[in-house]
Amino acid sequence: MVEAARTAVRTASGGAGILRFLGRRLVQGVIVILIVTLIVFALLHLAMPQGPAQGILGMQATQEQIDAFNRANGFDRPLWQQYFTFLSQIAVGDLGDSFKLNRPVADAIGQRLPKTLVLALISMAVALIVAIPMGIYQAVRRGKTGDYVFTTMNFIIYSTPSFFLGLVLVIVFAQWLHLVPALAPQGDTVAQVLAKPAGLVLPVATAALGIIATISRYMRSATIDNLSEDYVRTARAKGTPMPVVIRRHVVRNSLTPVIAMLGYYLPVMFGGMIVVESLFNYPGMGLLFWTSAQTGDYPVLLGCVLVIAVATVVGSILADLVQALLNPRTRGELA
Amino acid sequence: MLRIRDLAVTFRTDDGPVEAVRGIDLDVRRGEVLALVGESGSGKSVTAMAVLSLLPATATRTGSIELDGRELTTLGEHELNGVRGKEISMVFQEPMTALNPSMRIGDQIAEALLNHGVGTKQEAARRAVELLARVGIPEPERRAAGYAHEMSGGQRQRVVIAIALACEPKLIIADEPTTALDVTVQAEILDLIRELAHSSGTSFLLVTHNMGVVADIADRVAVMYRGEMVEHGTAMQVLREPTADYTKRLLDAVPRLPEGGETVPPAGEPEPDGTGPGGVALPVPVLSLRESSVTYRKAGKSFTALDQVSIDIAAGEILGLVGESGSGKSTLGKVALGLAPTSGGELRLFGEKLGRGGLRGRAERRLRGRVGAIFQDPGSSLDPRTTVGEAIAEPLVVHRAVRPMSGRDRAARVRELLEAVELPASYASRFPHELSGGQRQRIGLARAIALEPELIIADEPTSALDVSVQAAVLRVLRELQERMDFACLFISHDLAVVHEFSHRVAVMHEGRIVELGATDDVLLRPQHPYSQRLLASVPVPDPVAQRERRVARLAARSAA
Repeated sequence: MVEAARTAVRTASGGAGILRFLGRRLVQGVIVILIVTLIVFALLHLAMPQGPAQGILGMQATQEQIDAFNRANGFDRPLWQQYFTFLSQIAVGDLGDSFKLNRPVADAIGQRLPKTLVLALISMAVALIVAIPMGIYQAVRRGKTGDYVFTTMNFIIYSTPSFFLGLVLVIVFAQWLHLVPALAPQGDTVAQVLAKPAGLVLPVATAALGIIATISRYMRSATIDNLSEDYVRTARAKGTPMPVVIRRHVVRNSLTPVIAMLGYYLPVMFGGMIVVESLFNYPGMGLLFWTSAQTGDYPVLLGCVLVIAVATVVGSILADLVQALLNPRTRGELA
Repeated sequence: MLRIRDLAVTFRTDDGPVEAVRGIDLDVRRGEVLALVGESGSGKSVTAMAVLSLLPATATRTGSIELDGRELTTLGEHELNGVRGKEISMVFQEPMTALNPSMRIGDQIAEALLNHGVGTKQEAARRAVELLARVGIPEPERRAAGYAHEMSGGQRQRVVIAIALACEPKLIIADEPTTALDVTVQAEILDLIRELAHSSGTSFLLVTHNMGVVADIADRVAVMYRGEMVEHGTAMQVLREPTADYTKRLLDAVPRLPEGGETVPPAGEPEPDGTGPGGVALPVPVLSLRESSVTYRKAGKSFTALDQVSIDIAAGEILGLVGESGSGKSTLGKVALGLAPTSGGELRLFGEKLGRGGLRGRAERRLRGRVGAIFQDPGSSLDPRTTVGEAIAEPLVVHRAVRPMSGRDRAARVRELLEAVELPASYASRFPHELSGGQRQRIGLARAIALEPELIIADEPTSALDVSVQAAVLRVLRELQERMDFACLFISHDLAVVHEFSHRVAVMHEGRIVELGATDDVLLRPQHPYSQRLLASVPVPDPVAQRERRVARLAARSAA
């Protein structure tokens, strides 16, 4: 993924035709989402050879009941016709009905998604606040004790599965020290969740630690690269003190690729949220995904997949856009 | 003013300490330009960096450096920052990367002023614009608000000089300030430095390997060799009557153009157009381009790198191709090698048409196997993980279908090729990093001749090398050419090298060939105004002759 970000950096900073580049990315994104809908549709039918009838009517339903249901809902038509119906429904935000929750999928996701976004954004913000200074510190103190301490720490965190990390945090901070609750705040709205911030501490920490480990390494290498650039020497020869050189010259140039990488991080975050939310019983989309997987609620599962696919495409296009804005070579073309 | 005594610099490396500078003495006087010359590894740049304590952390420095009687080596970082940019400033070799890509030009200049508390932000910004105007940047207000990528290399170097000038320092240390620039741009930058030294009394410590630059600008010269000072004196003395053996050798190795009008038979045997050795008519040129164009698309705009160029190279002929960066000379080489697609025109190799309407696929590859190539950077054009022997054998392996060869024959051929480029056969098992730059370029040469090509495209084969090494590589290339009689497209920005080496010369400018003819005609009696300007810009390593050339060049410029 880091490689993907690097490639994008190169492509975007090639300077040329950033608007055309973004236009192309948009078209690519639409194609990717279409392919995902095709896969989702195919999976729906693979998972349920009888069509959704069986899922909704239950295992005891007779063949007559199923046939009647299929006729009523148009599931007896050829598959390609059903696919286009499926597509046109998606286009207006109709993701079908859940088997188990007795409500439309879009409704269920719509209620859960904001809470996941809030958790993800807080985790990301916390991670950046820690990881960026850490990466810069490590780069400046490269090869010295501080660098090794953080590198070792990051490797341990990076190689620990997040469910295990979360469990350790629960045992230490909730069970032993009783500092924070082990369960996330419950509620239907974002406001209800945010009303009890103590409950967010452990989920945020679990999600953020993994991101810190990745981003600080990336920041470290970007800073090391920039520290050896000729412009650093020019700035020092002007009499600029080293801390100012880092703050004023190096950090900005090192941040550009890191910020671009965040866009690519979005889908990874969603994956992480499934683990974190189910671990702390946080009422977000990740938990919805997890419970739907256990109960075989395919429409919900695949609705989530579709949402994640859209988020991935949007994230990577946003990354390119931010990249273009940060680079003076391409900024002019966007203005 | 600047007094360096017994300066020694040692680097800690994995292979033990390396002494880069071994106890040198150096004085720079007020208002003078002192040139510190030497080849790579002589310690000249290290000396320059040592003055402002800008050496990497692995370096240890001993000795004394005084500025107006004040010892600099004992200063702490904070006090050093008061000297850097204020009393002594620096100009570096690589103008393309010396500026921060994401900071406005004006801010980068103003930073130098603000670092030393000279004026308010507004004043510094205004002064930055003045400084840009001072170093000859047109539209300074607009440029100050712009970024480095909008400027050419020469303009960026002017910006770096503006930064160095900002606080009106006593001394500017310039480390190879013109090495990465074209000769015409180099001449302009040197004019600027000379004018600054003259008008503001600033002293310059100029680090360079180019004897022509030294002759053009230096008052005094210090010559370094392997970390030691071998000779110093006035530019007149050192360049005209050198006493140290090393200086003599160095000056002898510098290729020179004979003075204008004077005719010297060029090296090798000049062969008139279209005739081979012995005057037998050879109607078929080995390489023939007819109105070939190459266009690159960038940001929706198209850029013509090669503009309807027509050229023929006869069998056994060496055609020199000169021009500045961006003139299209390397593109022409790439077209000949099939590495750049043409957008129009016709390419023939050995009389066979290639590409659209001609040979393609396997037949084309077979024909291309008869063309060899040598590139500029001997370090990066060899795979660091293959041995020298494997690298040389590679073309033999690739073209084994055309000429089958057993493994033993191949090994024998590699030995033969190594000997042909005057390297011991035992080098076959070595890796590129174990060799020097000159040796690596000979490996490149051995690989290029492995298939006994009838044409070699040599793109700046010696520009990354020191002059003494360059002389040796060129000698090997010439001997091989005489023995194997291949034709050669010799691409170089160094007019003197081209003069020594070529039968005919083509001058390229903005994608076109502006002048083509016998070497002496083009390089000694150029007709086209651009060729004349190019020739006039090349500094010669003789202070007296160079002063005359400079006066003539400036007169021609003000006349025009």
